[in-house]
Amino acid sequence: MKLSSLSRERIFALALIAPCFLFVVVFAFYPILYSFYLSLHRIILGIPSLGQPFTGLENYRDLLHDRIALHSLANTLLFVFISTFLEILFGLIIALVINRHFRGRGMVRAAILVPWAIPTVVSSQMWRFIFNDQYGLLNYILYGSDTSRYSAWLADPVYAFSAIVAADVWKTSSFAALLILAGLQVIPDELYEAARMDGAGAWQRFRRITLPLVKPAILVALLFRTMDAFRVFDLVFVMTQGGPADSTNVLQFYGYKKMFTEGLMGYGSTISVVVFLMALAVTLLYIRVMGKGMLKAENA
Amino acid sequence: MKNLLRSVREYHMNEQGVRHGLIQGVFMCFFILLLLAPAGCTKKAEEGGTTLHFVTWKPNIPEAWEEIYSIFRAEHPDIELVKEVGPHSSTAFHDLLTQKLKNRSEDVDVFLMDVIWPPEFAAAGWAAPLDDMFAPSERKEFLDGAILANSYNGRIYGVPLFIDSGILYYRTDLLEKYGFSPPRTWREMVEQAVKITSGEAGKGVEIYGFSGQFKQYEGLVCDMMEYILSNGGNIINPETGRSGIAGKHAVEAVRFVRDNIIGKIAPPGVLTYQEPESLDIFIQGKAVFHRNWPYAWEVSNNPKRSTVAGKVGIARLPHFPGGRSYSTLGGWQAGISSYSKNKEAAWTFVKFLTSERIQKLLALKAGRAPTRKKLYGDAEILRAYPHFSGMKDVFLTAYPRPRTPLYPAVSNVLQRYFSKAISDPSSDIEKEAVAASREIDRLLALTK
Repeated sequence: MKLSSLSRERIFALALIAPCFLFVVVFAFYPILYSFYLSLHRIILGIPSLGQPFTGLENYRDLLHDRIALHSLANTLLFVFISTFLEILFGLIIALVINRHFRGRGMVRAAILVPWAIPTVVSSQMWRFIFNDQYGLLNYILYGSDTSRYSAWLADPVYAFSAIVAADVWKTSSFAALLILAGLQVIPDELYEAARMDGAGAWQRFRRITLPLVKPAILVALLFRTMDAFRVFDLVFVMTQGGPADSTNVLQFYGYKKMFTEGLMGYGSTISVVVFLMALAVTLLYIRVMGKGMLKAENA
Repeated sequence: MKNLLRSVREYHMNEQGVRHGLIQGVFMCFFILLLLAPAGCTKKAEEGGTTLHFVTWKPNIPEAWEEIYSIFRAEHPDIELVKEVGPHSSTAFHDLLTQKLKNRSEDVDVFLMDVIWPPEFAAAGWAAPLDDMFAPSERKEFLDGAILANSYNGRIYGVPLFIDSGILYYRTDLLEKYGFSPPRTWREMVEQAVKITSGEAGKGVEIYGFSGQFKQYEGLVCDMMEYILSNGGNIINPETGRSGIAGKHAVEAVRFVRDNIIGKIAPPGVLTYQEPESLDIFIQGKAVFHRNWPYAWEVSNNPKRSTVAGKVGIARLPHFPGGRSYSTLGGWQAGISSYSKNKEAAWTFVKFLTSERIQKLLALKAGRAPTRKKLYGDAEILRAYPHFSGMKDVFLTAYPRPRTPLYPAVSNVLQRYFSKAISDPSSDIEKEAVAASREIDRLLALTK
């Protein structure tokens, strides 16, 4: 009787998981595999007479010699590195602030989440206005009504790239903060009390207690942010379309252009597969590091 | 943790009878819904009437289009016209429309096509050939360039709706004040702009010399082509069929734009401008010269939107010494999807949309230049747009962009090259031009 009820429970559990599993298979595994399949073919929508010849790894070889793809890759990596670093830094600072007890903390916590709750397309449009050369807020803050000194931020390759990073950092630092805050909240107060009795200063307490204990949370935030940063697309699409002079072109946007504008389905898929593999590699690396960190924390 | 799990399990066991049934029931419902959903989506409209899907973009002047739709609905009660409005930007609209066509969507019957798309749409099999319906005698009524733009390999794939070509807009009051007539060469335009802006700056009036479209997008190709051709250069060499952008004249023209226009008479911000932003500057009275399509006439002379209404003149675009003026051909066509199930109704709508009276309505109410030759002699149109008669030969001679099914890919190479060449003062234009040329030739070789 007991056994049968257990197995019934197991069947029920499987039934519960099934839709979710099906969902992942249909919307994640299948497209990834299909992209990989497409990436091994030459498919040009504009020339259907070409057919869909199997070309093996030719697309991948072309990608290695595609100077724009390599340039976009460099942009992507730079973007990932800078934006993730800043997001984790600001996220940690924000988390430390809102972890303290003060009047109106609830309000501040809610307010900090606002940027993250705004859809990226909307916030990109907003930042595009802020950086506008004629009526942008940034110019107004810097130069007031002296319009002759107004600068066209998005027309300059270096500023345009920085603008994209700034918009991303503004938007997602709060997400990092949220994850890190969760980590901070599980640190028992007793540790701090004990440290204070032993005469540890604020910096020492941060270095010796907060940082080591919040490390797993930081790693989780880092993982999420890195993966997201690799897939940056909407900011570029709305704010610059990759310009000026490709200074903000990133791999995902380049792939989109190849696939949806130029109709190069095979080559475009190759780019998505490469982005996917890179994100996957980073994830595996993080998980390994994180797994070790977790084990150590448990043993201690 | 273990305790928690145990208590959850016990809770479930206790209430199994009731709960299981309930949850499983909810589940079944969800599943059934999931299976039914696609069927619901593809359900066809009621029998009897025909539903016609028209994919169009967000218009500058929506009232004119609403009027057109209501006339059609009144005259064809048996056809239910459903419009799907895509983005205003040509590139974004292209991506949306081709996505639907790639999937052989039955929800597209009639669509608007930019002048550069027919070869691609024809080669990919998305646009239905219209030779049987669009008779050669009927085609003679249209401007030759517009018909050519819709032809591919001897067949015709669209009906021209309105035509665009690059025009120079200028401030009549300012040119008069400084004793200038509209510039004939680019150099003249730069000199006039410098004199006027410095003269005005002395009186405390801030004004730029020029505004145009120089963002990395399709419009950049249109603008740059006008400089290159008017210097005797070309994008694709008509004799060899290969890229001509690394030629001496082409490179010279690009260098002129970088050294004399961007950040000089035009604000550096033009590197981020498409049509609307560049027009904003002009209608706010902040630019002496402006390059745009014909619709800008309507907007810049509308006192509700423009501070310079009544002070706007138009002229042919300038050229370089020894060259002649060139305008890039633009404009939109109506096409029918190969996958449409209602080709007959679709043609009824296309014929209606491109008819004389509707083109006249579009000209009068939306400032769109017609594609039917006859309308350039129409008294009512000429009264509202006196420049149409003077500009007729600009429309007649407007120059098409390269005609190839791989145009989007060619265009992306061009956009990248032009953007790099004009936005980076230290870039080696010759070297960039050679590299871009090689890429274009490789693309062109694919279609041969």
